[in-house]
Amino acid sequence: MEAIAQAAGLVFQPYVLWVIFASAVFGMFVGAMPGLTATMATALLVPVTFFMDPVPALGAIVTATAMAIFAGDIPAAMLRIPGTPASAAYTDESYAMARKGELDLNLGVNLVFSVLGGLIGVAILILATPVLAEIAINFSSFEYFWLCLLGLTCAVFIATDAPLKGFASLLIGLAIGTVGIDPAAGFPRFTFGSVELMAGISFIPAMIGMFALSEVLRGVVAIDRTAVPLAQRIGNIFRGIGSVTRRYWVNFFRGSGIGVAIGALPGAGADIAAWISYAVSKRFSKEPEKFGTGHVEGVVDSTSANNSAIAAAWIPALVFGIPGDSITAIVIGVLYMKGMNPGPTVFLQNPQLIYAVFMIFVLANLFMLPIGWAAIKLAKQMLRVPRNVLLPIILMCCVVGSYAMTNSFYGIALMTVMGILAWLMEEHGFPIAPAILGLVLGELLEQSFMTSMIKADGAFLAFFHRPIAGVLGAITIAVWVGMAWHSWKRRQGGVAGPVTPAP
Amino acid sequence: MRANDALSGLVLIVLAAAMIALTASFPAFPGQKYGPSLFPRILGVGIIICGLMLVWSGLSARRAGAPWVAVAPWVRDPWRATSFLLVLAMLLLYILAAETIGFIPIAIVFLGGLFLWLGVRPLTAGAVAVAATGALFWFFASMLRVPLPRGVLTGIM
Repeated sequence: MEAIAQAAGLVFQPYVLWVIFASAVFGMFVGAMPGLTATMATALLVPVTFFMDPVPALGAIVTATAMAIFAGDIPAAMLRIPGTPASAAYTDESYAMARKGELDLNLGVNLVFSVLGGLIGVAILILATPVLAEIAINFSSFEYFWLCLLGLTCAVFIATDAPLKGFASLLIGLAIGTVGIDPAAGFPRFTFGSVELMAGISFIPAMIGMFALSEVLRGVVAIDRTAVPLAQRIGNIFRGIGSVTRRYWVNFFRGSGIGVAIGALPGAGADIAAWISYAVSKRFSKEPEKFGTGHVEGVVDSTSANNSAIAAAWIPALVFGIPGDSITAIVIGVLYMKGMNPGPTVFLQNPQLIYAVFMIFVLANLFMLPIGWAAIKLAKQMLRVPRNVLLPIILMCCVVGSYAMTNSFYGIALMTVMGILAWLMEEHGFPIAPAILGLVLGELLEQSFMTSMIKADGAFLAFFHRPIAGVLGAITIAVWVGMAWHSWKRRQGGVAGPVTPAP
Repeated sequence: MRANDALSGLVLIVLAAAMIALTASFPAFPGQKYGPSLFPRILGVGIIICGLMLVWSGLSARRAGAPWVAVAPWVRDPWRATSFLLVLAMLLLYILAAETIGFIPIAIVFLGGLFLWLGVRPLTAGAVAVAATGALFWFFASMLRVPLPRGVLTGIM
C-alpha cells in the first residue's frame, strides 16, 4: 500500500504529466505517419529520456508506444497505408469501410476499442506480473537458460514466416552480442583493441540504426510516392459505437485475450497479434463472407488485440528480463540504464517504480481517448506533412540521438553500421526482430548457459533436473521437434522451401 | 537490391568461419572446461549450418530461373540511387568532419542540401534547416547537456 502511495506521488507531478502529454502527441504523430513505426518512436525517444528520472523516462516510452499503435489505424483507413505494421492486418478492411462512407464509424471503433483493449492488457499486466515474480524468484540459471531459449525459439517460429532466415537472423544477433567482455571469464572478445567495443555493442545506437536509419534508407528512395487522403469530412466518430459494442463484445474480449497472449510471448508483438486475431475473427464469424468488404467485425478484434499486446509485452520484460516485442527490447536496455535491472527482484527493490509504470499505462490509455480524437480531427493536416521534409530531420535525430548515448562518434558509427546491416537483412528477406532479441538476450543466454554447464559439469541431463527447468526444456524441445516435423511434412507434400517475394 | 540466397548463405559462412577462427586465440583457463570461446563457436557452427541450407535453397531457386542478383528499380533511377548514397555519404562525412566543423554548420548544410535534393522548395528548405538545427542544438546541447561538437563556433557560442 505504501508503495502504491509512493508511486502515485511519483506519477502525479506536473512535470511527469507534462512529459506524458508531450510523448502522447509525439507518439500520435509518429504512429500516424506511414513509414514511422512505434519501435522507431521508442528508439528516438530513448536519448531524450536518458537524462530523466526513471518514472518520466518510462512514462514517455509507455505513452508514446500506446498512442502510436492506435494512430497507425488513422492512415490505414484514410490512405490504405498502415501507419505502423500493427495496423497492417486490417488496413484493407478499414479502407473498404471508409470507401463505403463509414470512415467515422471505423475511426471511432479503432479509437474506442484501442483504449479498451489497452486497458485489458494493462489489467492483465498488473495482475500477472506479481504472481509470476513470486515464481521467478526461485529460478536458477537452468530455468533462465530454458526461458531464454524458449523466448528465442518463439521469436523464430511464431514471429516469422521464413524460419530458416529467422533462425539465421537470431544467430547473427547473438553473434553481434558476443562482442565485448565475455560474461563468464571476463575476456574481451572481438574488440580488435577498441576500448569502446570492450563495453559491448552499445544497445540504443544499435536500435536507432536498425529501426530508424534503415527506415530512412528505405524512405528516401520512395520519397515521391505519396497517397492522397480520402476527401471525406470527419463527423461524430462516436456515433454507432454503442451498437457495435453490443453486437461484437465477444470479439472485443477474444481480440484482447489473443493480444495479451501473443504480446506476452517473447518476440511476437502487436503486429502478429493483429494478424492472428483478425484471422481468428474471420474463422469464427457467422458472416465470414463479409470480411474484406468493409465489415467492422474483424476490425474490433484486431484493433483491440494490437493495443492489448503492447501492455502484455511488458510482462516477460519486467519479470524475466525477456522482451515481449521489439519495443520492450529497447525498454529492457532503458531499465538497465536506470538501475532497475529487470527480473523478479525489481518487485522487491523498487515496487514503487513498477506501480508507477502500471499507473502510467492506465493514464496513457485514458488520455488516448481525447488525444486520439484530436488526432483524428487533425489527421488531414498531419498526413500532409511532406516526407521529404520529415526524413532528413529524422536522419539528423538519429545522428544526434546516437551521439548522445555514447558522447562520441562511436555511437554514430555503430548506428550507421547497424542501420546498413538491418537494411541489407530486410532487403534479403531476413526478419529483424529475431536479431534484436538475440542482441538483447545474448548475454543472459550465454551467462545462464555457461553457469549451468559449469554447475552440471557437462552432464546435459542436469538441465532437466529441476521441475520448472525440466518443463520449460521439454516445451522448448517439443517446439523444435514440432517445427522440424512440420517443415519435413511440407517438403514431402511437394512444396519447396518457403518462397518469399522480392520487395 | 537482392542477392540470391546462395550468395547470402556464402557470406554468412565466410563470416562465421572468420568468427570461429578468431576464437582460436581466446585463452583457456586451466581446470575449466568451458572458456570464452565455447559460445561463439556454437553460434558460428549454427550460422554455417544456416548458410549451407541457404546455399542449397538458393541454388535450387537458381535452377528454377531466379537471377543471381535481382536489382530493384530504384537502383537504375539516378535520382533515387543518389538519394540513397547521399544519406550514407552524409553519415560518413559527419563522423569524419563534425569535430572540426561543428554541429551547427554541418547540420544546416546537410539538412538544407538533402531537402533541396529531395525537392523541397529553396525557401522552405533553408528555413526548416535552420529551425531544425536550432531546435536540435537547443534541446540536446542546452537542455540535455550533450557535448555536441562546436567546431568553428568554439568560443563564439
